[in-house]
Amino acid sequence: MALRGFLRRFKPFEIISENQVEQIHESTLDVLAEAGVKVHHEEALKVYKKGGCTVDFDSKLVRFPPALVEECLRKCPSSFRVKSRNPEHDLVLGLDHVVFFNFPGRDIVDLTTWESRPPSRQEHIDLVTVLDALPSVHFLNNYPYFGYRGIPENMKEMEGAAIRLAHSTKVTMEIANNDIDRFTFRMAKAIGTEIFANPNASSPLTCYTDQTNACFLAAEYDLPSMIWDGATAGSTAPASTLGAIISGNAEVIPYIVLLQLLKPGARVAVANLVLPQNMKTGAPAFGDIGVSLHLAAYNQVWRRYGIPMVASASGVSNSKIIGFQLAYEKTIPSLVAAISGSSAVQIHSSVYGEISSHPVQAILDDDIAHMIGRFVEGMEMNDDSLAVDLINRVGPIPGHFLGDAHTRRWWKREQYVTRSADRLTYPEWKNGGKMNEIDYAKQRLEEILSTHKVAPPLTAGEQGEIERILQEAREYYKKTGLISSSEWRDYMKTLKDEDRMI
Amino acid sequence: MAEEKKDILDNLKKAVFEYDRQLAARSAVEAVEKGIDPIEAMNVMTAAIREIGQAFGKGELWLPELVGASDAMQGATPILEEEMERKGRHRESLGMVVAGTVFGDIHSIGKTMVTTLLTAAGFHIEDLGINVKAEEFSAAVKKHDADLLVMSALMTTTMTEQEKVIEALNKEGTREKVKVMVGGAAVTDEFAESIGADGYDPTAPGAAELARRLLAV
Repeated sequence: MALRGFLRRFKPFEIISENQVEQIHESTLDVLAEAGVKVHHEEALKVYKKGGCTVDFDSKLVRFPPALVEECLRKCPSSFRVKSRNPEHDLVLGLDHVVFFNFPGRDIVDLTTWESRPPSRQEHIDLVTVLDALPSVHFLNNYPYFGYRGIPENMKEMEGAAIRLAHSTKVTMEIANNDIDRFTFRMAKAIGTEIFANPNASSPLTCYTDQTNACFLAAEYDLPSMIWDGATAGSTAPASTLGAIISGNAEVIPYIVLLQLLKPGARVAVANLVLPQNMKTGAPAFGDIGVSLHLAAYNQVWRRYGIPMVASASGVSNSKIIGFQLAYEKTIPSLVAAISGSSAVQIHSSVYGEISSHPVQAILDDDIAHMIGRFVEGMEMNDDSLAVDLINRVGPIPGHFLGDAHTRRWWKREQYVTRSADRLTYPEWKNGGKMNEIDYAKQRLEEILSTHKVAPPLTAGEQGEIERILQEAREYYKKTGLISSSEWRDYMKTLKDEDRMI
Repeated sequence: MAEEKKDILDNLKKAVFEYDRQLAARSAVEAVEKGIDPIEAMNVMTAAIREIGQAFGKGELWLPELVGASDAMQGATPILEEEMERKGRHRESLGMVVAGTVFGDIHSIGKTMVTTLLTAAGFHIEDLGINVKAEEFSAAVKKHDADLLVMSALMTTTMTEQEKVIEALNKEGTREKVKVMVGGAAVTDEFAESIGADGYDPTAPGAAELARRLLAV
């Protein structure tokens, strides 16, 4: 049985009209045909040219004919499966279900000082273990943490991938920089799991080399792609929400066209990490209500295209601590995303921006994800749920419903008992040590780490193959100068301490 | 003539406050035609930028206004600088800055914000653009006798290039003569210190202030 998430039983919330969706679509076609997109990849330019685009090989500008764009959008499946080495963790992404996954955080945050630092290898493993255990985490992003201490920058992603592949059977993904994805795809193939390729757009209107190359790799390995747009509205995208959607569409569609030209019917999802700009600091305005507006309209547009949409900007807050601001900055856009049609919502584990994470936060977010999931599943209407016969039978006081079979049948379906929230009465709370949600989450963390085991574990042969590919990557980056001599020395010491020297 | 001069200088000031690049350019051309001292003309705009900067600091204005005003001033700057060159006059610049986004990275908005603010503050900028190799940075620092090198890297996978640039400066023998500032979403104080940079700031306005502190101007 695959991981499908929560079935959305009602029509997604619509914030703009159907005509307005069409206007956005036409405007997107106009931008693609008029301004075009710069694609820094010679082979891709040839593919686009052959596919019918107008290509200037000198300036690398590609203009897309509307008919080709519409044809390629139509070729994308509206629902697809991504296979895991544990079939129970196959991921099904579609238009009527909502799944949840973690948002990246480079470092681990200290729960007392709220300062962040690079995690240890064990801390990285622990976070992946927690994400594997949590019931409302349906797949994993590419960096729960960014590597760990003692690893050169260019190997952090891959060492992290090796940890994800070993300590979770949930589907994951890999970024496209410096050939990282090429090595990670080989690791995934070696153990019989599919992962997402991750082409990222560069705003405005640019497709860079490594990101475009991810499409070729996805076609070569027959992997699904999650195509990201991460513009900042007001600086690399228009400040107006609808304008930012149009420019964002025009940035991800070139990858869709390329993927469909390379492999018709390729599995594609689009991921939205567009954020308004904080006009004081120049950084993204994490948690701004503009995120929710954007996601709501964006979801409507991509439902029109019938392509699964991933809400990413929902998972990021500007709060440095686990507290009130973090909760509302993530919950509001996550709920809006889910009710307006997102296929996947990114929420778990992130604390500040993409800079810090913690497994306690992942556990707290799992309650939020489950509450949102329960909400989108809506209500059943039938004789039993209407309960008219029951109401008539119970009648006025002293009648009650508490002991009735109907209550036993229904209360768990209509409520979600949060697992890491304070649900005590006041005296219970006072006499029980005044525990708060972080205290409960810490208890659950200990419980998960002491009991949860990845199933099935990698065989010795599979683990050995991953290490072999990692070693090949190490040698490659050392040879190309992407690992310096001093980094190499420290790295070898780390591997020796971990007893992982080949 | 005095009235004419006043009108032209008022228009240069207005162009900055109204973010009107075309008005700035037209007024600069008029200033040159009427023989107005180009340094006096530049100073009028620099004073306006400083006023906008103060309003930004108080939270009365925001980045779009700051960058818009700087952009407007850029409409006039090349025209007035050419006139200064022609007359053998030199505007006192706060310093020569080489800026760029490191090799493997094509993100430019952060760098653009910082260089815009530095220009407005009175620095002279040589912007190398994006995807700049370490040896290109090093060559530019030497060629322009730069006081400050500003590098940007958005991604964790490209920020290590900043260390390579510093190594290239060491190799060229220019490291001691230039201050190095690094920036980008993944960069931290600790990282900047570990690679031997002189400074880092997470925000564009902060970076511009840091530049002044590093060069003691």
